[in-house]
Parts: sequence; C-alpha cells; structure tokens
Amino acid sequence: MSGNSMTFQDMILSLQHYWADRGCTVMQPYDSEVGAGTFHTATLLRSLGPAAWRTCYPQPCRRPADGRYGENPNRLQHYYQFQVVLKPSPVDSQDLYLGSLAAIGLDPADHDVRFVEDDWESPTLGAWGLGWEVWMDGMEVTQFTYFQQVGGIEVDPVPVEITYGLERIAMYAQGVNSVYDIVWSYLPDGTPMTYGDVFLENEREFSAYNFEVANVEMMREKFDEYEAECHSCLERKLPLPAYDCVMKCSHAFNLLDSRGAISATERANYILRVRTVAKLCCESYLSEVATKTDGASKERGVA
Amino acid sequence: MADTRDFLLEIGTEEMPSAPLVHATKQIADLVRTGLDEAGLAHGELRSSQTPRRLVVRVSDVALATKEVREVKRGPAASIAFGPDGLPTKAAAGFARKFGIDAASLVRRDDVDGREYVWAEKYVASRPAMPILTQVSEAAIAGLEWPNYRSQRWGSEHQGFVRPIRWICALLGSEVVPVTYADVTSSNTTRGHRVLGPGEHVVADPSCYEATLESAGVLLADRRDQVIREGIEQVQAERSGSRVDTPKGTYSEVVNLCEHPTVLVGTFDEEFLQVPHEIICESMLSNQRYFPIYDAKGALTREFVVVSNARPEVSSTVVDGNERVVRARLDDAKFFYDEDLKVPMDDFVERLDKVVFQEKLGTMRQKVARMEALAPEVVLGAGLGADVVASAARAAHLAKADLVSQAVVEFTNQQGVMGGYYAQAAGETDEVALAIREHYRPRFAGDELPSGVVGKAVAIADKLDTICGMFAIDEPPTGSSDPFAVRRAAIGVIAMLRALPEVHLKPLVERALRSYAEQGLSFDVDAVRTDVEKFFQGRLAAIAKDEKIAPDAIDAVSSVGVIDPGEFLARASALDDARSKQPELFEDLATAYARAAHLADPELGVIIDETILGTAERALLDACERGERNVSAAIASGDFGAACEALAELREPIDRFFEDVLVMDEDTSARENRLRLLNRFANVFAGVANIGVLSKKK
Repeated sequence: MSGNSMTFQDMILSLQHYWADRGCTVMQPYDSEVGAGTFHTATLLRSLGPAAWRTCYPQPCRRPADGRYGENPNRLQHYYQFQVVLKPSPVDSQDLYLGSLAAIGLDPADHDVRFVEDDWESPTLGAWGLGWEVWMDGMEVTQFTYFQQVGGIEVDPVPVEITYGLERIAMYAQGVNSVYDIVWSYLPDGTPMTYGDVFLENEREFSAYNFEVANVEMMREKFDEYEAECHSCLERKLPLPAYDCVMKCSHAFNLLDSRGAISATERANYILRVRTVAKLCCESYLSEVATKTDGASKERGVA
Repeated sequence: MADTRDFLLEIGTEEMPSAPLVHATKQIADLVRTGLDEAGLAHGELRSSQTPRRLVVRVSDVALATKEVREVKRGPAASIAFGPDGLPTKAAAGFARKFGIDAASLVRRDDVDGREYVWAEKYVASRPAMPILTQVSEAAIAGLEWPNYRSQRWGSEHQGFVRPIRWICALLGSEVVPVTYADVTSSNTTRGHRVLGPGEHVVADPSCYEATLESAGVLLADRRDQVIREGIEQVQAERSGSRVDTPKGTYSEVVNLCEHPTVLVGTFDEEFLQVPHEIICESMLSNQRYFPIYDAKGALTREFVVVSNARPEVSSTVVDGNERVVRARLDDAKFFYDEDLKVPMDDFVERLDKVVFQEKLGTMRQKVARMEALAPEVVLGAGLGADVVASAARAAHLAKADLVSQAVVEFTNQQGVMGGYYAQAAGETDEVALAIREHYRPRFAGDELPSGVVGKAVAIADKLDTICGMFAIDEPPTGSSDPFAVRRAAIGVIAMLRALPEVHLKPLVERALRSYAEQGLSFDVDAVRTDVEKFFQGRLAAIAKDEKIAPDAIDAVSSVGVIDPGEFLARASALDDARSKQPELFEDLATAYARAAHLADPELGVIIDETILGTAERALLDACERGERNVSAAIASGDFGAACEALAELREPIDRFFEDVLVMDEDTSARENRLRLLNRFANVFAGVANIGVLSKKK
C-alpha cells in the first residue's frame, strides 16, 4: 500500500460522508443477492415516478460466473459497488462526482479523468440509459448513467446513477496489483487487515459452490416458485415483496448459468421471464406507490 | 456596406461521444446557414468546430438587420381586374397570387397614362438581427439529429440532446443573444478545461473566442489534431525509423476525448511481446485508445503512445497509471493465451458441441463436421491433389476450435487469428494454420480474400454452409433481417469463386444441403436448392449491375440458369459488349428470337424433313447447324464473345426466313416442319443467353 492512501473502509466511509453532505439518504445494501447496485429498490424503483430522491449506499454484488477460486487478482464473484442516485439529476452532477474523487484522495487535478461514452442497458430490468465509463489515468473506475427508461417506463424526472467500482479504485489508490492485497483496515497494533483476509476464503468456497455444487434442480424450482410468488404479490398489489421475488429469480438464474445448466435458447427464455416480472413490478410500483396521490405512499415506508 | 458584427453560438455540454459529435459539427453549420438565409439576414463566412464539451458555430459579418423590402407592381387595368359586381376577377386574383398578397389588398390607382390600374404593394420592414439569431439558434439546437444514436433527457427537462447541455454562450459582437434550451439560458461566458482553466470565462467578442478558450486550456478540433500530430511526429523523430500506428477510427476518437492533448509514451513489459500482437494491439487500440509503436524493421515495440487530457505537470502519474492498466490487461491476455496453448486443438473442437451455431441448425461441432465434408469438395473442384484435399479437411476441422479458447472469449475479434497461432504451436502445417487464420475473410465486400486455396476452400465451406442452412430452415435474409449475414456470406463466396473459376457452385450447394439432410435436418432438398441457386443469381445480378453491365444483358444470362460467378459475369459482360458494338443487329436478333420462341412448339421436336425445305428455310437450317457448332466450341473454351458472334450470324438467315416464309402454312406437314426449324433456331441460344430479353427494352 502506497503512502497515505485510504483503507478500503475509509473510502466507503468518506464516500458516505461526502454524499450525505450533498443531501443523500445513506442507505445500507439490499439484504438479498443482487447482480448490481442498480437492482436495489432504492435505485430501480425509486427511479420511477415524480418524487425527488437522493441516496447512496455500498452494495455487495454477486456474479457467480465471475468467480475464479481466489486465483485471479482482478476477478471476483462477490465484490462491492458504491452506488449514488440523484433524482432529478442536478446541473452539477459531474462536478459533484469529481469532488467525490478528491474526497477519497484522488484529486482530479492530479490525474487524467475522462468521461468515455458507454451507454448502459439491462435487458433483464427493461432499463437503459446514456452516459460514460469514467477513466482515471486509463482505468475504468466508475459508471455514470442518466437513466432514460426503467422497467420499460420512461423516467421523468431523469435520475443519474453513479456506480463506483470500489475494489478497482482501492487497488489503484493503494498501488497494489491484486485485489486481495487491498488494505481494508488496521488492527490496533497496526497490522493491516487485507481484502484477502476478509474475503479470500469466501471466494474459494463460493467459486466451488457456484461452479460445482449448487443444486441445479433446486435452482430451477426456486426460479419457478419465486416467479409464481411474484405474481401472487402483484395480485395483492404488493410491488415491493413482488420485486424481492424478482431478485431471487435473477440470482437463481445466475447460479444455473454458472453451473453451465442453461442452453442458449433457455437462457434467452429465462432472461425474458425475469424481464417480464421486473416490468410488472415497476408498473405496479409506479401506480400503487410512486404516483399515488392519497398520501398513503409515505406511510407505506417504501424501501 | 451595412453595419455587421460577428456571431458566436457555443453549446456547452457534458462530454459528447465522438462519432455523433463529428456528425453534429457538420449539421449545425448547415442548420445555422439555412436559418440565416431563410430569414434574409446577410452574413459572411461560417465555421463550425467542437470539443467533447462544446459545439461551436462562428459566423463572420452578420448584418445587424435584414434589408427593408418595398415593392410596387402594376397589375391589369382596373376595368379587367374587377367584374361588374365590383369583385376581383380571375385576372386580379392571379396577379395578386403571383405577388404573394391577398386580392382584397390590391389598390386601384391611375398610372401616368391616365388609365386606372390595380397595384400590388408589398412592404417588409427591416428586422433586427437579434430575434432572428435567437430563433435560428434555438431551432438549430432542437433540429440537430443524432443518426445511429439516441438523444437523452436530463433533470426535469423534456427537451433532449446527445448529452446534457450545461451552458450556452451566444454573442453578436459583444452583446448576448438570448437563447434558451431546456433549462439553460445563454450568457457571454464559456467554460474552461476542467483542471487547466476551470469555471466560467467571459468571451468579450466572437473574434477573441478561440484565444479565450486557449487561455482556459481548451483547444478546438483542428488545433487538437495539430498538437497530437506534432507530438506523434516528435515521438517518431526520437526513435529513428519508428512508426506510430494511428488507425483513423481510433485517432478520431482520441482527438475527441480531450480538450487539451498531451502526447505521452508508455511502456509495457518485455514478456508481453510473446503474446500474439493482434491481441496486444486490439487491447491497446480498442480498449485503451493507445497507439502502438513499430520499430524501423516494422516489429511491434514495447512502447505505445497515450494522449492525456491532464495537466502536463502530472504526466508521470498518467503514464504510470496507464502502464498499470495495460499490464493488467496484457497479464490477462497472456494468461488466457498460455492456458489455451495447453489444450489440444482437437479438445477445443469437441467442446464446440456446447456452442450453438443456430437454434434449428444445431451446434458449432455439427457445423464443423459439415465444413469438413464441403471444403475438400472445393479443392477437388479446383483439380488439386490429395495432399491439398487433406489440408482443407484438416483446416476445416480446426477452423472453429478457437471459439471456445479463453483468448477468443475475451477478444472476440481475434477469432481465426488465434486459431492460426494455436494450430502453428500444435505443429499443424503452415498451410493449415494460415487457412484457419484467414477463413473469416472476406469480412465485407472488397475485403482481402484468404491467400491460399485451402483458406478459400474453408472460407467457402463456412459461408456456403451458413447460407444453405438458413434457406433450409426457411429463414432466408429479408430486407430488414439478416442476422447471420447471409448476404455478405454470398458476396464472399462469389468473390472467392471468381478467384477459383474451375470450381462449380451447384455441386457445392448440393453437397452442403446433403450434409444437413444427413445430420437429420428435415427439409425439401430440391426446393431449397432451387431457392439457394436463385438467391445466388440475385446476388450475381446485383454484382453485375455494380460492374455496369446492362440490366437486360444480366437478365438474358440469368434466365439460362448459370450461377458460377466467373462464368455468369463473363457471359453477361460479353453479351453486353457484343450488343453495344452492334446494337441494331442485336435488337433485330432479339425481336426475331422472341418471335421464334413465341411461335415455336417444343413438343414437335427438332427433327426436320430436309426434303421439303425452300431456300430461306435451307439457309436457316445451315446457319443453325453452323451456329450450334460454333456456340458449343466457344462455350467449351470459355470464349463468350465468340459465342455471341456465332449468335449474331443467325440474324440474317432468320430475318430472311420470316420475310420469305409463311410459317403458319395451311399444309400441316410444311407448317410443322417450319415450327421444328424454329425450335432448332431457339435451341442454339439456349446454352448462351435468353436473348429475347434484350428486345423488351424498346
């Protein structure tokens, strides 16, 4: 670890403070497996409807097929994103972002920061947006996206989503070549606690589970059952539990994928099924919660 | 000369992507020019430019107002212009319309001759420039189109742009032109480079716009291009004989990814030079927008050019960061490549049974089996020996192996190229390795072909298999849908067969379809073969048309069923040439042929009773016999010009026949004998061209 760069946890804490000072509600990760911070209700569902909303939160993401048994210095099946959503997108969203880099010790004046075209689309969520990947000295450190559609619905006003790849940024800031060498924190005696100390065993075990152990039949059943459960929730006009089921379906699908249990045709079909329920949840959330004018939405305490 | 000022419109945005930005820079100049011209506002030279964060139009010498228009025109006499009822007549209405005013506003007045006329008077007051420029600017911003791209919304605004607009600087001289778009209102300030000149900067006047920008660390497109070119030249000068590779697409992106370029040189570790250079270069050019540097001998070096947008003082940090990124990328690439080399290629081939080629057409493994059957047929068709046939089968077997290699999964564009490396490392012959490497060629019309026969054979087998498969499942390309690029595949097959004129297409189509049938695909082989042949005829006709062969000559050759590309094009071109040398003769011949073909009754056959022939009939029969001999000799030697000449010789005898002989004689035997003679005549043409088509034109 080089010089006086921040620990992994200081980075997260600094980002939280920085964005809290800019009016963000500091949330915690969604308590279910998700493939990206976007899946969190605080991003996806809160993007719908007219209400203003600002949030930030770290989100562990699971991508079972990306596991490498802890042997690849850059690839993980479980990693962290730091997610910021500003709705409506403010006029100074880029400047706010650049300020956040300075807040974690990476002053844009001392680096080459670029906004490189990279448009975003999530077929499973029926969502797309335009924006950039942000490069720092040639390295992609952030995705910066103005949502245009979510769940097939035009968003109005437009939220901007800023997603930091925390491990990459930490590796760069600390000058280490393996994700497992990132310093997460220090013990009282000054001994570094590394990312490897915290997560290497997790990567090994989950890689084995994702690729070798996960019960294919059970995952297929889980997918079917949660899909049915989602519909039951929607019938009762409960978009939040319904959407919870979408995430369960999505994760079951990802595990089936990492087990190599899905043919190309099946794959397209599964993605379509997730998209269908995701869109229904978005539509339901929009009509039942986000555009409800009877004042009930506040009392419902949406996530 | 009226009073003028320079005009500036700068649309400030968040970073726009390169390709739409370049396009918009051209469009906005046209939009502003058209707007000014339509409003009648005089102006001088118009220039547009850009950076990723701004689109700029500057117009010199814009008039401060439009010219006043005052026109008076005398119309018809009042007595004609108004009817007895006092209403305007048609004459008056026509005059008014011509002048662009309402008939009711015509006035009556005596002219100097003492007679009373109607008068049209038009007056358009001079309009000040300001509101016109406002209107033109707002319309131009809203009117920009983003082809092949999407515009976006932002904040709570409903007007879109390619990226959010954050400021507008609009000036006529030193005065702000009021312009509003989305949530932004114009001012006299621009914004500088994010770190070299952050914040707002006042532009005193359009003439000092560029200087203001440069003092704020921002260079417009031409200047950035110049700085980068000079930087690269210096890099080359410092490395005697070296060359920096700057492919157009990447270069243009690099110019449009910065506002203040600094050309830097980075280095990667020596060990990565062992990785196939295609991967290194793709990684550098496409992923990182670096330019590779080649030494005096043309070999790739460890150095690369990276263009920075940062403060020049932090160049070492920038170089260091970029080197770390390229190291991680090449580390990955090297790891994949080394891992791939440990796997026998035949193992990769077996793994292709997990890769779907097309849902209904099965796996890649099955495709490979079909290619292995087809590629040797191409070589046999070319009349080459058993060793080449074996090479083609081997190369076809291994051609798709790299699709499951880690390197190709990561660097998809290097399919084929990587297979070539793996084959070489596995001890396959150079011929096989090269064929694998090149078998995706030609990737577009006019692209290089695979260099050897084996490569061409594998490429033909690959493409023809795809074409036949898509027809077999009744999913031929349509105007809007061609997901497997069947049209491009056909163009490729045609280009390669033109280079291998001895190889016939029909038996290859037959073989390709048989392989599908043998693998259990159920379809009507004959019907599909006809469809595929027709499809090739269509593509050939399109190519012939591109080569400026007359459409009717193409039709004439198409309708005799030739699909071998070389022959099709040679025939069509020979016929077209012959006809353009002797247009009347061919017109005449075509008419006669059409008449003969119309009368002819194939059921009667061609056995002629020579004892009852008159002179003209005799002469035609002789000419037909001579024609048959000459045509078949000409076709056998591939001399289609001579075949056309042989046909041309039939003109006189057939003309004379129709002049002298009554075909539909009352006597049945004479009539049928003459019809048989016409059958014979038509048959001479059958192998060359349906010449009757040529007469349709007139």
